[in-house]
Amino acid sequence: MPGERRNLRSTKDTSSSTNGEEPRSNSQSSSSNKDQPVPTTRATSSKGKTLPTKKTSGKEGAEDKPHTNGTEPVENGINGTEDVDMVDDGSEKVKVGTNKEGEDEMTLVVPPSKSSKLSGEPNKDEEGDVAMENTNKSDNISSELDPRAKAVADVKANFTLLERAVAQFDARFTLRVLRSISSIRKHLAPDLLAQVITETYTSTSSVAKTLLAALGKEDASFEGPDALSEMDIDTQTKDKPQTTSKSTTLPKDVLPEVDTYLSILVQIHLYDTKATEFGAKFSSNLVERLRSLNRRTLDALSSRVYYYYSLFFEQLAPLPPSPMASAVSIRPHLLAALRTSVLRKDQDTRATVTTLLLRNYLSTSHITQADLLISHSEFPAAASNNQIARYLYYLGRIRAIQLSYTEAHEHLVGATRKSPATPSAGGFYQAASKLLVVVELLMGDIPDRAIFRQPSLEHAMEPYLSLVQAVRVGKIEGFLNVVQTHNALFRRDGTYTLILRLRQNVIKTGIRMMSLSYAKISLRDICLKLDLESEQSAEYIVAKAIRDGVIEASIDHEHGFMKSKELGDVYATREPGEAFHDRIRACLGLHDESVKAMRYPMNQHRLELKNAQEARERERELAKDIVEGEMDDDDASGDFEGM
Amino acid sequence: MSTTELNTTLTRLQSSPPPSSQKIASLLSTAKRQLLHLDALLPAPSTSPHLLHLARTTLETGALFSIRLQDPDAFTRYFQQLLPFYELPPSSFKPAGDGQRSKVTGLYLLLLLTKGDYAGFHTVLEGLEVEMGGRAGAGLEEDRFIGYPVKLERWLMEGSYDRVWGATKREGVPGEEFGVFSEVLVGTIRSEIASCSEKAYPSLPIANAKNLLFLESEGGVVEFARGRDWVVQDGRIYFPLQQGEGVRSEKEILVASGQVIENAIGYARELETIV
Repeated sequence: MPGERRNLRSTKDTSSSTNGEEPRSNSQSSSSNKDQPVPTTRATSSKGKTLPTKKTSGKEGAEDKPHTNGTEPVENGINGTEDVDMVDDGSEKVKVGTNKEGEDEMTLVVPPSKSSKLSGEPNKDEEGDVAMENTNKSDNISSELDPRAKAVADVKANFTLLERAVAQFDARFTLRVLRSISSIRKHLAPDLLAQVITETYTSTSSVAKTLLAALGKEDASFEGPDALSEMDIDTQTKDKPQTTSKSTTLPKDVLPEVDTYLSILVQIHLYDTKATEFGAKFSSNLVERLRSLNRRTLDALSSRVYYYYSLFFEQLAPLPPSPMASAVSIRPHLLAALRTSVLRKDQDTRATVTTLLLRNYLSTSHITQADLLISHSEFPAAASNNQIARYLYYLGRIRAIQLSYTEAHEHLVGATRKSPATPSAGGFYQAASKLLVVVELLMGDIPDRAIFRQPSLEHAMEPYLSLVQAVRVGKIEGFLNVVQTHNALFRRDGTYTLILRLRQNVIKTGIRMMSLSYAKISLRDICLKLDLESEQSAEYIVAKAIRDGVIEASIDHEHGFMKSKELGDVYATREPGEAFHDRIRACLGLHDESVKAMRYPMNQHRLELKNAQEARERERELAKDIVEGEMDDDDASGDFEGM
Repeated sequence: MSTTELNTTLTRLQSSPPPSSQKIASLLSTAKRQLLHLDALLPAPSTSPHLLHLARTTLETGALFSIRLQDPDAFTRYFQQLLPFYELPPSSFKPAGDGQRSKVTGLYLLLLLTKGDYAGFHTVLEGLEVEMGGRAGAGLEEDRFIGYPVKLERWLMEGSYDRVWGATKREGVPGEEFGVFSEVLVGTIRSEIASCSEKAYPSLPIANAKNLLFLESEGGVVEFARGRDWVVQDGRIYFPLQQGEGVRSEKEILVASGQVIENAIGYARELETIV
């Protein structure tokens, strides 16, 4: 199974690296073809990212994934764009210092490598659908303007999408908006947001006031164009017609979806600028407001709000491991949110809040509570892939602590398979893989060597590789050495206690090796080879190994030796058949899942009906033609005969 | 109601020589009632540090007392009540400190171990580990009280029963209350060893079995053997063979072929739905 997984991933990896190649050529050629929207987006975005993230990207490289930069040093320039997303990953890792850092960023960076490549395209499409003149305009604008105006245009384009999502009650538009956040994120600045806000709201709006206050821009004047004219006159002149036309087309009262969307952007901005305390306060107010709204179209957005809400609190002063952590204080709110979301059948928030609660409980190692939460609540099956992956990871973790390794293994395999293949979510994949390796060891399996060869894991898994090697050899001394050397790291990963449990496995492996290589061996030799304290201990341990089915042997107490039994042929047992069955079942399950995952757009069947109607009509016509044609045929044949 | 009454109850509880067990029981229930009146049975942010300390001491006394009475249910109850107190930072108690935390926690771990609740054991341990890591203090094993059950668990899992046996003797036990569990533990390892021996030895002289099972006399061995349906003949114990292996394998084949057929039909059905 791991082998398959590896293949999957490695193909993805190569594709992502080709992604890296592509943009480079684009950005090089961007100066030449200005009329094409895509390259310009590239150029602008790469310009934008160099400013704020230079420093952090370096840190990130050292901390998290040196190989991304290391293996492809030529592409440094391009990697930069992807780094922007990963930066959070890295910096967060440093700050939080717990094991589950990686997946923090998982949701918010949905498809970064792709989105940075495509960031221009989807927006283009959408605008094209909405209003033709917008497309042209943003094309023109984006080709000549600075990234700021482009970002403003992007944000505004998203408003229309949100409105459409509300009007057509289709969550897909909202998701598209959320996906674009990662590209917009690079350009977020108080000025930009203030501009968007002042242009969207009227000066009396209380929402606008709170948002501006959060940005520290209370003094920004409304109906912005005049106030902003000092900036880039070029920009303004071109931007103005668009904005004015927009503000006239906008409905007088702004949709709560748009409010929330802007609030999320503010949250992200606060998060990126590390204004944790203020962000926590702002998010609390925001959550309060959200609770009063009951709109299904808000679901996806509000789940994102909760996500940042909990992220802020996690980083507040007393950090998680201590039971007094401020993260604990949001539990009642999260639980209330969970209750509400269940009652309102709000799948997105429900899934997000469940994972957040689990994360929260695990951060202070309240495992019993987490376990109770799982048994008393149901995780929505329709949740997004990322949420499912996180849920599986936490579930696997809890089960591993509770010693149900088989279950833990199942969940963790699910988590690693479902984890997004994008480099920015690498942290999650690493964390899940680490845990998976330890659980596999605890189950008595030796993980596949190939797991450690994956480029995204190679570096992070190094200590685990040596651990696996120590267990495989079955030398207690070597094992203890590895644990000692990587003590701090294992503790940080939260795998330390699990690894300590491996001690008995090391002994068992040692005994198995001996039973395989010797037909008969004295207990004394076993005792010496395994560094056990006494022969008596060795006897008990061997007896236990026999009882647990680790080895097939018997002990002669009087003469003090262990005698191995002949090994049977594995292919005479049911094992191969069972393994085969497992695989087939996995494949069939995959097929079922993919069938279930297919989307059937609303009203599509009517279209098909119509098509069918048309087809039938055409058929009828055809039949008529044929009927008429028969004459022709006859005529023709007649002619033919006549000739 | 003030704290003075509670104070007097507590001093009477802790006075030496210790009062009789009935006296302690009634004193404990008085103390708990007083705590309830003071609204301090559960810690609240408004509770004064001094009162917190008193409440914790009361509960700890109760917990240790119930262990001495060999009442695991009462002990578990006390432990659950103590948990919220242990989660407070040590600074919120007036005479700061951890109280008898490690002792009570160690006892709870040992209780879980003797009950065979390994999942619960590791769950509690994981919480402790994370907390200790946060405080950057010494490891769990260095703690005399918590290290004891941790070591016992490790030995039990790897099968070093002789070490467990050694640890349950008087000098190995860290505290008087821990000795209560020794008997249960010895019983546990004895039955473990017995089940291992059944598989590992074809036969065993009684004298050796006496040593292996940590029994006092050969008579004890014979009795023990009878309890487990072992055959004792000519000073040797013969373990019952894995009965009917041949028959079982035939049955297994039948089951297996049934399964194979079922699987194959299942595949065919699934394939049909796909194609």
